Amino acid sequence: MHELSIALDVCRIAEEHVGAGALARVTAVGLDVGARAGIEIDNLEFCLEALLGSAPFGSGKPVINRLEGAELSVTYVEVEDDGGS
Amino acid sequence: MAVRRIDVREKVMAKNDELAAAVRGRLSEQGVPSLNLVSSPGSGKTTLLERTLDQLGARLTMAVITGDVQTQNDAERLAARTDRLVQAVVTGGACHMDARQISTALDEIDLEETDLLFVENVGNLVCPASWDLGEDAKVVIFSVTEGEDKPLKYPRMFERSDYCVINKVDLLPYLPFDVDQAVAYAREVNPQLRFFFTSALTGEGMDGWYEFLLDLAGAIREITA
Repeated sequence: MHELSIALDVCRIAEEHVGAGALARVTAVGLDVGARAGIEIDNLEFCLEALLGSAPFGSGKPVINRLEGAELSVTYVEVEDDGGS
Repeated sequence: MAVRRIDVREKVMAKNDELAAAVRGRLSEQGVPSLNLVSSPGSGKTTLLERTLDQLGARLTMAVITGDVQTQNDAERLAARTDRLVQAVVTGGACHMDARQISTALDEIDLEETDLLFVENVGNLVCPASWDLGEDAKVVIFSVTEGEDKPLKYPRMFERSDYCVINKVDLLPYLPFDVDQAVAYAREVNPQLRFFFTSALTGEGMDGWYEFLLDLAGAIREITA
Protein backbone atom coordinates (compact mmCIF):
# COMPACT_ATOMS: atom_id res chain seq x y z
CA MET A 1 0.00 0.00 0.00
CA HIS A 2 2.95 2.33 0.62
CA GLU A 3 4.78 1.43 -2.58
CA LEU A 4 4.06 4.84 -4.09
CA SER A 5 5.86 6.54 -1.18
CA ILE A 6 8.80 4.19 -1.72
CA ALA A 7 8.75 4.90 -5.46
CA LEU A 8 8.79 8.66 -4.80
CA ASP A 9 11.82 8.19 -2.56
CA VAL A 10 13.52 6.23 -5.36
CA CYS A 11 12.86 9.19 -7.69
CA ARG A 12 14.28 11.61 -5.11
CA ILE A 13 17.46 9.50 -4.89
CA ALA A 14 17.75 9.41 -8.69
CA GLU A 15 17.36 13.17 -8.84
CA GLU A 16 20.07 13.67 -6.22
CA HIS A 17 22.50 11.69 -8.35
CA VAL A 18 21.78 12.99 -11.83
CA GLY A 19 20.48 16.51 -11.13
CA ALA A 20 17.02 17.89 -11.87
CA GLY A 21 17.99 18.92 -15.40
CA ALA A 22 18.89 15.38 -16.47
CA LEU A 23 15.77 13.54 -15.29
CA ALA A 24 14.28 13.43 -18.79
CA ARG A 25 17.37 11.52 -19.94
CA VAL A 26 17.21 8.81 -17.26
CA THR A 27 16.84 5.48 -19.06
CA ALA A 28 16.92 3.07 -16.12
CA VAL A 29 16.98 2.96 -12.34
CA GLY A 30 18.37 -0.20 -10.79
CA LEU A 31 17.09 -1.45 -7.46
CA ASP A 32 17.78 -4.31 -5.08
CA VAL A 33 14.56 -5.39 -3.38
CA GLY A 34 14.43 -8.20 -0.85
CA ALA A 35 11.50 -10.53 -0.37
CA ARG A 36 11.23 -9.42 3.28
CA ALA A 37 11.49 -5.68 2.60
CA GLY A 38 7.78 -5.25 3.26
CA ILE A 39 7.22 -4.34 -0.37
CA GLU A 40 4.88 -5.78 -2.94
CA ILE A 41 7.45 -5.80 -5.72
CA ASP A 42 5.06 -5.84 -8.69
CA ASN A 43 3.23 -2.88 -7.20
CA LEU A 44 6.51 -0.98 -6.70
CA GLU A 45 7.46 -1.73 -10.29
CA PHE A 46 4.10 -0.42 -11.49
CA CYS A 47 4.52 2.82 -9.50
CA LEU A 48 8.06 3.29 -10.78
CA GLU A 49 7.04 2.68 -14.39
CA ALA A 50 4.43 5.40 -14.02
CA LEU A 51 6.78 7.89 -12.34
CA LEU A 52 9.90 7.28 -14.42
CA GLY A 53 7.87 7.35 -17.63
CA SER A 54 6.37 10.79 -17.17
CA ALA A 55 7.60 14.36 -16.54
CA PRO A 56 9.98 15.42 -15.12
CA PHE A 57 11.31 12.01 -16.15
CA GLY A 58 11.10 10.89 -19.78
CA SER A 59 11.12 7.22 -20.60
CA GLY A 60 12.99 5.63 -17.71
CA LYS A 61 12.41 2.05 -16.63
CA PRO A 62 12.87 0.38 -13.27
CA VAL A 63 15.20 -2.64 -13.27
CA ILE A 64 14.47 -4.62 -10.14
CA ASN A 65 16.87 -7.23 -8.85
CA ARG A 66 14.85 -9.52 -6.58
CA LEU A 67 16.74 -10.85 -3.57
CA GLU A 68 16.07 -12.71 -0.35
CA GLY A 69 16.32 -10.64 2.81
CA ALA A 70 15.11 -7.15 3.66
CA GLU A 71 17.28 -5.13 1.28
CA LEU A 72 15.70 -2.08 -0.31
CA SER A 73 18.15 0.15 -2.14
CA VAL A 74 18.82 1.98 -5.36
CA THR A 75 21.95 0.53 -6.94
CA TYR A 76 22.41 2.62 -10.08
CA VAL A 77 20.91 5.19 -12.41
CA GLU A 78 21.51 5.08 -16.16
CA VAL A 79 21.44 8.36 -18.06
CA GLU A 80 21.72 9.07 -21.75
CA ASP A 81 24.55 11.50 -22.40
CA ASP A 82 23.17 14.72 -23.74
CA GLY A 83 25.72 14.73 -26.60
CA GLY A 84 26.59 18.39 -26.16
CA SER A 85 29.03 17.91 -23.31
CA MET B 1 23.71 8.11 -27.95
CA ALA B 2 25.85 6.79 -25.10
CA VAL B 3 24.31 5.69 -21.86
CA ARG B 4 26.21 6.38 -18.69
CA ARG B 5 25.70 4.31 -15.55
CA ILE B 6 25.97 6.12 -12.23
CA ASP B 7 26.59 3.89 -9.21
CA VAL B 8 24.25 4.81 -6.39
CA ARG B 9 24.00 2.15 -3.67
CA GLU B 10 21.67 4.16 -1.48
CA LYS B 11 19.11 2.68 0.83
CA VAL B 12 15.57 3.73 0.03
CA MET B 13 14.06 5.48 3.04
CA ALA B 14 17.51 6.35 4.37
CA LYS B 15 16.12 9.89 4.67
CA ASN B 16 13.30 8.70 6.90
CA ASP B 17 15.72 6.65 9.00
CA GLU B 18 17.95 9.72 9.44
CA LEU B 19 15.01 11.84 10.55
CA ALA B 20 13.82 9.06 12.86
CA ALA B 21 17.27 8.87 14.45
CA ALA B 22 17.14 12.63 15.05
CA VAL B 23 13.68 12.32 16.65
CA ARG B 24 14.94 9.47 18.84
CA GLY B 25 17.93 11.57 19.89
CA ARG B 26 15.74 14.55 20.72
CA LEU B 27 13.32 12.48 22.80
CA SER B 28 16.03 10.66 24.68
CA GLU B 29 17.88 13.90 25.42
CA GLN B 30 14.70 15.21 27.04
CA GLY B 31 14.01 11.88 28.74
CA VAL B 32 10.67 11.40 27.01
CA PRO B 33 9.74 7.76 26.37
CA SER B 34 7.58 7.28 23.29
CA LEU B 35 5.14 4.66 22.06
CA ASN B 36 3.84 4.30 18.51
CA LEU B 37 0.34 2.81 18.57
CA VAL B 38 -0.38 0.80 15.46
CA SER B 39 -3.34 -1.36 14.46
CA SER B 40 -6.04 -1.93 11.90
CA PRO B 41 -8.77 0.75 11.80
CA GLY B 42 -11.31 0.48 14.58
CA SER B 43 -9.29 -1.57 17.08
CA GLY B 44 -9.72 1.05 19.81
CA LYS B 45 -6.49 3.07 19.72
CA THR B 46 -8.26 6.35 20.40
CA THR B 47 -10.47 4.87 23.12
CA LEU B 48 -7.39 3.35 24.78
CA LEU B 49 -5.72 6.75 24.76
CA GLU B 50 -8.86 8.53 25.99
CA ARG B 51 -9.07 6.29 29.02
CA THR B 52 -5.32 6.48 29.60
CA LEU B 53 -5.39 10.28 29.56
CA ASP B 54 -8.38 10.25 31.94
CA GLN B 55 -6.83 7.83 34.39
CA LEU B 56 -3.18 8.86 34.36
CA GLY B 57 -3.57 12.55 33.59
CA ALA B 58 -3.03 13.55 37.21
CA ARG B 59 0.21 11.57 37.50
CA LEU B 60 1.81 11.88 34.07
CA THR B 61 2.07 14.68 31.58
CA MET B 62 1.32 12.97 28.29
CA ALA B 63 1.55 14.39 24.80
CA VAL B 64 -0.16 12.84 21.81
CA ILE B 65 0.42 13.05 18.07
CA THR B 66 -2.42 11.54 16.05
CA GLY B 67 -2.27 10.59 12.41
CA ASP B 68 -5.26 10.15 10.15
CA VAL B 69 -5.71 10.09 6.42
CA GLN B 70 -8.46 12.71 6.77
CA THR B 71 -10.15 14.61 9.63
CA GLN B 72 -8.86 15.69 13.01
CA ASN B 73 -11.60 13.74 14.79
CA ASP B 74 -9.24 11.64 16.92
CA ALA B 75 -7.21 14.67 17.96
CA GLU B 76 -10.41 16.46 18.94
CA ARG B 77 -11.62 13.48 20.98
CA LEU B 78 -8.29 13.33 22.81
CA ALA B 79 -7.98 17.09 23.26
CA ALA B 80 -11.18 16.92 25.34
CA ARG B 81 -9.33 14.67 27.84
CA THR B 82 -6.16 16.67 28.39
CA ASP B 83 -4.91 20.21 28.81
CA ARG B 84 -1.85 19.35 26.79
CA LEU B 85 -1.60 20.03 23.11
CA VAL B 86 -2.72 17.15 20.92
CA GLN B 87 -0.98 17.42 17.58
CA ALA B 88 -3.01 16.21 14.60
CA VAL B 89 -1.24 15.09 11.46
CA VAL B 90 -3.53 14.72 8.46
CA THR B 91 -1.60 12.56 6.02
CA GLY B 92 -3.84 13.56 3.10
CA GLY B 93 -4.09 10.11 1.57
CA ALA B 94 -0.84 8.55 2.78
CA CYS B 95 -1.35 5.22 4.52
CA HIS B 96 1.25 5.78 7.25
CA MET B 97 3.05 8.48 9.23
CA ASP B 98 6.68 9.30 8.61
CA ALA B 99 9.49 10.65 10.76
CA ARG B 100 9.34 14.12 9.21
CA GLN B 101 5.76 14.56 10.41
CA ILE B 102 6.77 13.57 13.93
CA SER B 103 9.75 15.89 13.85
CA THR B 104 7.52 18.82 12.83
CA ALA B 105 4.85 17.95 15.40
CA LEU B 106 7.49 17.81 18.17
CA ASP B 107 8.37 21.45 17.48
CA GLU B 108 5.01 22.39 19.02
CA ILE B 109 5.31 20.14 22.07
CA ASP B 110 7.07 21.26 25.23
CA LEU B 111 9.22 18.17 25.70
CA GLU B 112 10.72 19.39 28.96
CA GLU B 113 7.24 19.28 30.45
CA THR B 114 6.37 15.88 28.94
CA ASP B 115 6.64 12.52 30.71
CA LEU B 116 5.41 10.32 27.90
CA LEU B 117 4.68 10.70 24.20
CA PHE B 118 2.10 8.69 22.29
CA VAL B 119 1.88 8.56 18.54
CA GLU B 120 -1.45 7.23 17.32
CA ASN B 121 -0.61 6.03 13.84
CA VAL B 122 -2.94 5.72 10.85
CA GLY B 123 -5.16 2.64 11.21
CA ASN B 124 -3.42 0.19 8.91
CA LEU B 125 -1.65 -3.08 9.72
CA VAL B 126 0.67 -2.95 6.72
CA CYS B 127 2.44 0.30 5.93
CA PRO B 128 3.19 1.87 9.33
CA ALA B 129 5.40 -1.17 10.05
CA SER B 130 7.88 0.10 7.47
CA TRP B 131 8.30 3.63 8.85
CA ASP B 132 10.49 4.19 11.86
CA LEU B 133 9.18 7.31 13.59
CA GLY B 134 11.94 7.47 16.18
CA GLU B 135 9.74 5.88 18.85
CA ASP B 136 11.05 3.64 21.64
CA ALA B 137 8.56 0.90 20.85
CA LYS B 138 5.56 0.03 18.76
CA VAL B 139 2.43 -1.19 20.50
CA VAL B 140 0.10 -3.18 18.28
CA ILE B 141 -3.56 -3.05 19.30
CA PHE B 142 -5.37 -6.22 18.31
CA SER B 143 -9.10 -6.30 19.00
CA VAL B 144 -11.08 -9.47 19.57
CA THR B 145 -13.52 -8.56 16.81
CA GLU B 146 -10.69 -9.35 14.37
CA GLY B 147 -9.55 -12.85 13.41
CA GLU B 148 -7.10 -14.74 15.63
CA ASP B 149 -4.79 -15.14 12.67
CA LYS B 150 -4.14 -11.41 12.16
CA PRO B 151 -0.50 -11.87 13.35
CA LEU B 152 0.05 -14.51 10.67
CA LYS B 153 -1.58 -12.36 8.00
CA TYR B 154 0.32 -9.20 8.93
CA PRO B 155 3.52 -10.61 10.43
CA ARG B 156 5.72 -7.58 9.88
CA MET B 157 3.62 -5.40 12.17
CA PHE B 158 3.70 -7.99 14.95
CA GLU B 159 7.42 -8.60 14.41
CA ARG B 160 8.19 -4.92 14.70
CA SER B 161 6.11 -4.38 17.84
CA ASP B 162 7.33 -4.95 21.39
CA TYR B 163 3.88 -4.89 22.99
CA CYS B 164 0.46 -6.20 22.03
CA VAL B 165 -2.77 -4.93 23.54
CA ILE B 166 -5.61 -7.40 22.99
CA ASN B 167 -8.54 -5.03 23.25
CA LYS B 168 -12.34 -5.16 23.51
CA VAL B 169 -12.19 -8.18 25.85
CA ASP B 170 -15.64 -7.14 27.18
CA LEU B 171 -17.01 -8.55 23.91
CA LEU B 172 -15.47 -12.01 24.36
CA PRO B 173 -18.71 -13.60 25.65
CA TYR B 174 -20.40 -12.72 22.36
CA LEU B 175 -17.65 -13.72 19.95
CA PRO B 176 -16.01 -16.97 18.87
CA PHE B 177 -12.56 -15.34 19.31
CA ASP B 178 -10.02 -17.73 20.89
CA VAL B 179 -7.60 -15.62 22.96
CA ASP B 180 -5.08 -18.43 23.50
CA GLN B 181 -4.94 -19.13 19.80
CA ALA B 182 -4.45 -15.44 19.01
CA VAL B 183 -1.61 -15.19 21.54
CA ALA B 184 -0.02 -18.36 20.15
CA TYR B 185 -0.12 -16.97 16.61
CA ALA B 186 1.35 -13.67 17.75
CA ARG B 187 4.13 -15.47 19.66
CA GLU B 188 4.84 -17.57 16.57
CA VAL B 189 5.66 -14.35 14.74
CA ASN B 190 7.33 -12.60 17.68
CA PRO B 191 8.20 -14.70 20.74
CA GLN B 192 9.25 -11.57 22.69
CA LEU B 193 5.86 -9.82 22.50
CA ARG B 194 4.46 -8.68 25.84
CA PHE B 195 0.67 -8.76 26.12
CA PHE B 196 -2.03 -6.71 27.78
CA PHE B 197 -5.67 -7.80 27.79
CA THR B 198 -7.96 -4.83 28.01
CA SER B 199 -11.29 -3.29 27.38
CA ALA B 200 -10.53 0.36 26.85
CA LEU B 201 -14.30 0.92 26.83
CA THR B 202 -15.14 -0.58 30.25
CA GLY B 203 -11.70 -0.25 31.86
CA GLU B 204 -11.34 -4.00 32.38
CA GLY B 205 -7.70 -5.11 32.46
CA MET B 206 -6.36 -1.58 32.13
CA ASP B 207 -4.40 -1.58 35.41
CA GLY B 208 -1.50 -3.57 33.95
CA TRP B 209 -1.31 -1.12 31.08
CA TYR B 210 -1.24 1.87 33.44
CA GLU B 211 1.49 0.27 35.57
CA PHE B 212 3.53 -0.37 32.47
CA LEU B 213 3.20 3.27 31.40
CA LEU B 214 4.05 4.60 34.84
CA ASP B 215 7.12 2.34 34.95
CA LEU B 216 8.18 3.42 31.51
CA ALA B 217 7.88 7.13 32.34
CA GLY B 218 9.40 6.72 35.80
CA ALA B 219 12.29 4.54 34.77
CA ILE B 220 13.43 6.87 32.05
CA ARG B 221 13.11 9.91 34.29
CA GLU B 222 15.30 8.28 36.93
CA ILE B 223 18.02 7.66 34.38
CA THR B 224 18.04 11.26 33.18
CA ALA B 225 17.75 12.77 36.66
